[in-house]
Amino acid sequence: MWAALLIPLLPLIAALIVVCAEDETRYAHAKIAALLMGAACLGAATTLYAVTTSGPITLQFYNPATGTSLTIPIGFYIDRLSGVMMTLISAVSLIIYTYSVNYMYQDRHYRRYLTLICLTDFVLLCMVSSANLMMLFLFWQLLSYLLYILAHNHSHRQTLDGAYKTFTVLRVADMALLMGIILTYQVYGTLEIPELFSRATASPHTVALWPGMDIDAATAITLLMFVGAMGKSAQFPLHLWLPSSLFAPTPVHGLLHAGIINAGGFLINRMAPLFGLSSVTLHVALVVGTVTAVLGASMMLVQSDIKKTLGLSTIGQMGYMIMECGLGAFSLAVFHLIAHGLFKATVFLNCGNVIQKARIEPHFPHTGHTHHEEDQLSNLTWTTGFLTSLVIPLVILLVTHGVLHIPLLESHGNVIILFFIWITSSQAILTLTRLRAVASWKVSSTMLLTLLFVVFIYLFAVESFTAFLYPNPNEVASYYKAADLPDWLFDLLIVGATGLTIFGWVYLYLKAHGRSVWIPAWIDGVRHHVYVALINRLYADECYGRLGHMVLRFVHWVDKREEGWSRR
Amino acid sequence: MTSTVLFSWLATCIPFIGALAGRMFWDDIPQLKKSCIIWALISVAPILKVRTNLPEGALLLGLLPLVAMISLLGQPIQKDHRLSWLMTLVCLGLGIGVIVHPAPLGHLFLLALLVAMTGLLIRHHTILWPISWWGISLFCLAGCGVLIAALTNPSLSSTGALVTAAVLVPLLPFHTGYLTALTRLPGNLPSFSAFLLPSVGLHVMASALQAVPTAVSGVIGVLALIGALYGTVKALAQTRIRLMLAYAGLSFFSMLWWHTAASILATSRAAVLVASIGLATCGLLIAWQVIRTRYGDDVDPSSISGLASSMPRYGVLLTLLTLAAMGLPPFGVFAGLMGLLLHSPIPSLIGLMIILSAWLAASWYLMSAAQRLLFETRRSDLRYHDVVQQEWMALTITIVILTVLGLAPIEWWTPTTTQSMAGAFVREMP
Repeated sequence: MWAALLIPLLPLIAALIVVCAEDETRYAHAKIAALLMGAACLGAATTLYAVTTSGPITLQFYNPATGTSLTIPIGFYIDRLSGVMMTLISAVSLIIYTYSVNYMYQDRHYRRYLTLICLTDFVLLCMVSSANLMMLFLFWQLLSYLLYILAHNHSHRQTLDGAYKTFTVLRVADMALLMGIILTYQVYGTLEIPELFSRATASPHTVALWPGMDIDAATAITLLMFVGAMGKSAQFPLHLWLPSSLFAPTPVHGLLHAGIINAGGFLINRMAPLFGLSSVTLHVALVVGTVTAVLGASMMLVQSDIKKTLGLSTIGQMGYMIMECGLGAFSLAVFHLIAHGLFKATVFLNCGNVIQKARIEPHFPHTGHTHHEEDQLSNLTWTTGFLTSLVIPLVILLVTHGVLHIPLLESHGNVIILFFIWITSSQAILTLTRLRAVASWKVSSTMLLTLLFVVFIYLFAVESFTAFLYPNPNEVASYYKAADLPDWLFDLLIVGATGLTIFGWVYLYLKAHGRSVWIPAWIDGVRHHVYVALINRLYADECYGRLGHMVLRFVHWVDKREEGWSRR
Repeated sequence: MTSTVLFSWLATCIPFIGALAGRMFWDDIPQLKKSCIIWALISVAPILKVRTNLPEGALLLGLLPLVAMISLLGQPIQKDHRLSWLMTLVCLGLGIGVIVHPAPLGHLFLLALLVAMTGLLIRHHTILWPISWWGISLFCLAGCGVLIAALTNPSLSSTGALVTAAVLVPLLPFHTGYLTALTRLPGNLPSFSAFLLPSVGLHVMASALQAVPTAVSGVIGVLALIGALYGTVKALAQTRIRLMLAYAGLSFFSMLWWHTAASILATSRAAVLVASIGLATCGLLIAWQVIRTRYGDDVDPSSISGLASSMPRYGVLLTLLTLAAMGLPPFGVFAGLMGLLLHSPIPSLIGLMIILSAWLAASWYLMSAAQRLLFETRRSDLRYHDVVQQEWMALTITIVILTVLGLAPIEWWTPTTTQSMAGAFVREMP
């Protein structure tokens, strides 16, 4: 049991080994440290197996019920969720670290970056295995600061500004999380994670915002914690820091987009029993997640820089993940963040390669644009697209419910998620089809079958993963229940989404066949404005700058008017 | 009992003896500094033997000589600083006297400390800073508070003591005394005062709070919230480092006032917070002194940059101090603040929001100032010298103490009578 302590300690030792190296021995030290990182990863996988077979591991260096504790209580609680997260984090860190040992070799700050990668791994591992909210917050804060120093370069002005913005934005979210933690202790009298859940579910509590204005305690606490999660997971409007940190070296991005950014998703999942008590918070999460997913994806589509594209894609994916939490699908969100983490780490580590190839060969990547636009959207392609995005989802919904006995129809969340997954995946496949300008029955049927296969496997995997993380099906059902939308809203969403899909395909069909589609002039104007706004990332950075200036102007205005010490 | 009295007197007198002994080395400046440091260290020994039962614990008492030593270590060897070194020992003796001796002797020591501060401020007053008269007046007001506390009936006495405490642990509108001390005192005295005044103030506050009526504590709570915001806004507007740190101190000490006014209690957790804020401010003042030693007393902070690459040891130490001062874990300021906020009821959610906003804003102005100094382009026209051994020691000891305060069990600093459940993280359901 105590061996589990080695998992976070090994990256810490690795960091010390790297930082103590001389210039001549730095490569050898880095290699030795890689072994330790590998051992940590192996340890995490073993621990995951141990907690799966024997139940959660609890290690406490304090007695929570008496006064014999450190000021910041250090304790570890490793359940299945922690085990999964530890394995993911240590695996991604190992890959990124091993990559960095050679990739960063000629960098002036070689030791610094490698040390910081090891330290970030240590902090993340401690954070996901925290036994109490105070320890979780300690490492949460350290992560904010590590992000600041990972994202900046000493002498590059823009990088420094970006890093400063990262730190200040994250601190806003941290403040909300801290307030949530203080409120948790004031209301439930504990910060111990398992104990907190049993107390929270035992009886409802309220807190007074103002004398006479009471609010449900679980809602107040989870809303504050959600704001904390929004910061780390770059949710709108706290997403500003992510595009600003794009000057950092590629491996740092890999770690940031595959590991650090998952912290918000982890926090929500860690506190899932508390979030499950508040429908209001889940609905807020759904709205914020959806807005972030739509904006992130839209902004990504209009960028021309590969790193910005990937960065904004991460924002969109995180929005998607938060949206899943808002729908009560907590395990699905974890599944998503694992998949996204592995995918994004691969893409980031490979993007330098793509840039290098593009520099050597200007026409890379080869898109094979040899046909006209009309050819790309043939009747066959159009029919396939229409089928994939509208008809097949309904078939799948009914088959999974009737044949696989996965109760998709029993919760609104599942239906919305399925709809979203389907539109996204079919759009992706159609984009590929358009890029290659392929329109044959063979390809279309292969595509449809692949899509069906992928979605069924995905559903099956998610179902198994849900059973793994939450063995009690009633618990899962209660989360979905809490996330249920009002019936009228749910119906409206489904009808609206269906209408929008049909409209989209009809429009594309008419346009591709040279038919005139009457669109009011103002919509065309708006479209251009939206495009410009999206390419400028909704002018969020400018708004942030203006807000900062306003605050400073106010501060100086107060300072000037007040007959204080500083005016003399 | 007799031994406690004996050690109390020893602890009080050793710094005075040190100041007298130091007078012998008046012309040998390095020797004078060394002597002052040694006498400050010697005064730790009797303090370890003093058995007190202070409500706020003995933490501040134990740290006083250490902080005096740190502030002396961080000073450059200059002729002009001789008086401040000796006065550090005098103030240390008076500070220890206030804490270890009960009234009326404690009152006498407090009065003497305030007189010493006022005298020093008058001596270093210049017409360029006319507002320092406000600070001097407030120290006089604190002196009157002490007299009222010593000579009148209990209800009036507690009001007098509260006014004195409000000057020493800065509370709006009595904060100017603290600002004046941190910006106008000579040599190492600002860095020592940043710890000494609040430490003594907390001791006064601990005894005064017990007799405070609810209405008065409500007013203090409101003043504290306004003070936290005011300190933050003023700190954000400053370009002078010492003034920024002084206003940051006002902001952080207002958090303490807000909480202690509501709980009517100054516990060992409050002592951890006071010690940590005092130490962090002291450390940052020493760090700023390092810059002033190299580039002149009236150096403009915005003209210095790129220290992280040119003075790496200084860069690391300043970074850690900044993190500690802005209230990040695992340092004492965070632990002290959490200790207060978690272990007694929160007076109001709006108040909590204001307090945490002030905590948040500290990371903006402190981080911004540190970033400006440490990063950006290295200037080729500046000569860079990393910290010398004594400066390094002073800053390192400060960081180590701040870390210990952040991590050590609270029972270490808690009087034995109030130890039960002091650090519990699970309590009965409210």
